[in-house]
Amino acid sequence: MSLPLYLTMMKSHGKMLGGFIYGAAAYIVLIIWIYPSIADMKGFNEMIAALPKGMRKLIGMENGINSLSDYIAGEFYGMLFLIILMVYVILTSTRVMARLVDQGSMAYLLATPNSRVKVAITQAAVLLTGLALIVGFTTLSGIAASEWLIDGYQLDVASFITLNLLTFLVFASIAGYCFFISSVNNDEKKALGISSGITLLFYMLNMAGKLSEKTEWMLNFSIFKWYDPVKVINNETEALWIGCALGILTFFLFMLSVVVFKKRNLPL
Amino acid sequence: MIQVKGLSKRFTKEKGLFDLNFEVKRGEVFGYIGPNGAGKSTTIRHLMGFMKPDSGYSSIDGMDCWKNAARIQEKTGYLPGEIVFLEGMTGLGFLSLVQKMRKQESIKRRDELIERFQLDINSPIRKMSKGMKQKVGIIAAFMHAPQVLILDEPTSGLDPLMQRVFIDLILEEKQNNKTILMSSHSFQEIERTCDSAGIIKDGKLVALEDMHLLRRVQRRIFEVKVKSEDDMNHILQSSLVTEVKGDRTIHVTVQGNDQEFVQLLSRCEVQHIDTRPQDLEDIFMHYYDRREVER
Repeated sequence: MSLPLYLTMMKSHGKMLGGFIYGAAAYIVLIIWIYPSIADMKGFNEMIAALPKGMRKLIGMENGINSLSDYIAGEFYGMLFLIILMVYVILTSTRVMARLVDQGSMAYLLATPNSRVKVAITQAAVLLTGLALIVGFTTLSGIAASEWLIDGYQLDVASFITLNLLTFLVFASIAGYCFFISSVNNDEKKALGISSGITLLFYMLNMAGKLSEKTEWMLNFSIFKWYDPVKVINNETEALWIGCALGILTFFLFMLSVVVFKKRNLPL
Repeated sequence: MIQVKGLSKRFTKEKGLFDLNFEVKRGEVFGYIGPNGAGKSTTIRHLMGFMKPDSGYSSIDGMDCWKNAARIQEKTGYLPGEIVFLEGMTGLGFLSLVQKMRKQESIKRRDELIERFQLDINSPIRKMSKGMKQKVGIIAAFMHAPQVLILDEPTSGLDPLMQRVFIDLILEEKQNNKTILMSSHSFQEIERTCDSAGIIKDGKLVALEDMHLLRRVQRRIFEVKVKSEDDMNHILQSSLVTEVKGDRTIHVTVQGNDQEFVQLLSRCEVQHIDTRPQDLEDIFMHYYDRREVER
């Protein structure tokens, strides 16, 4: 890794990253803040129960809202946060590699005595650091808001942290294949298109898979199969094993990207 | 110092590089000329290790350009043909990033070059004109005092004054025994600085000559306006290639026979004389044609 490059890259991504962090953190604080009024609302769970099962699954409220944890996991991690992270990962992975090759500024980085492997690892580190910062700040904001902003409702901090770690790992894997696509493409737009295409496909398979039992098999073809926030926060999954698997997958994808980037022709 | 041997890279049947061979010795300045799309930049990409040859190899200071790309950069300065920097930086920010990535601490040479090219280093790069960016690129290539310089169309975008500054810089580096490879469209630029030159067309090296020879084959056309019909006939009867262009105006093609041309003019009453700058393509065309005929 090249430290000067890393710092420069972090600095130039700072504004965009700041926006994502602010968005995610502000939203989690907001929904925690309004939780008491929803929890106290009579008939809310009945209303939810009246929805078809597939629909409930889709909006992350299979069993209605029984606790603050369920609520956060379903409302925030199941929906908005997922989209925020998807957008961040796709955009940033394209920016750190394909864009530099497309525009030609990669030539300057490689015209210094830093190998392609070193440059690619640095760029991967920038991508993952950004992701970690978003998830990290969101975790802290969530814990802080549930401690200080509302009274009488408990957040299971340990499971909440587990959920966040798993979220990070799922999106690190997504970042992995997006980074790979970004590393093998000379065209920024093409890389962006393929990355978002695949990710959206995964997302749609995930939605379709949750709709009914007939379509449940579709889930098996989506990376989001491993991302079920409500179950994770209720400790109903093998979080440790899923985490390990995702970690290995991520490592493998980034390794592969770096190796392919090292060996390919660059039109610089 | 720079060696290219049997370098081939096929994109399509006609496009690419085909069995390229040349060598630039230490302390030599090598001009690499060719029309657009001939393969100049592709060759340079191979030297920089951005591309892997299908067959053959290129090396700098004995190190293979593909396998040792990173190590070669320690002693090489590179100016890309397309100047695009990282986004959101100032000129100075960019130069110091490159310095840090090179683990270079002394800024003496850098500041000297900034002074020389009169660069406003604090303006953001995206607001810079093409010439300004070119200056930043040149400084980035020269500031670590590399042994080898690879410059892809170095003077594009520079105004005539800065072109002069740049040519002086090249001549100075030549004095310091640096090895330089520069590509160009401009024959004049190459003529002023280079010891030898290679002409590339359609991915093949069609000529590899020292500068004297190239100068000899360089064709120039003079537009001559004479005072009387007699003078006109006089010129037309000479052995030079001529073409009547209007009333007492004539185009004379001179190629290596400057002496004869001057003597001919001395016998006429000349009103006006002007050279027609020829674009490089013409010069090439002629050069290729001549070659074909000789064969």
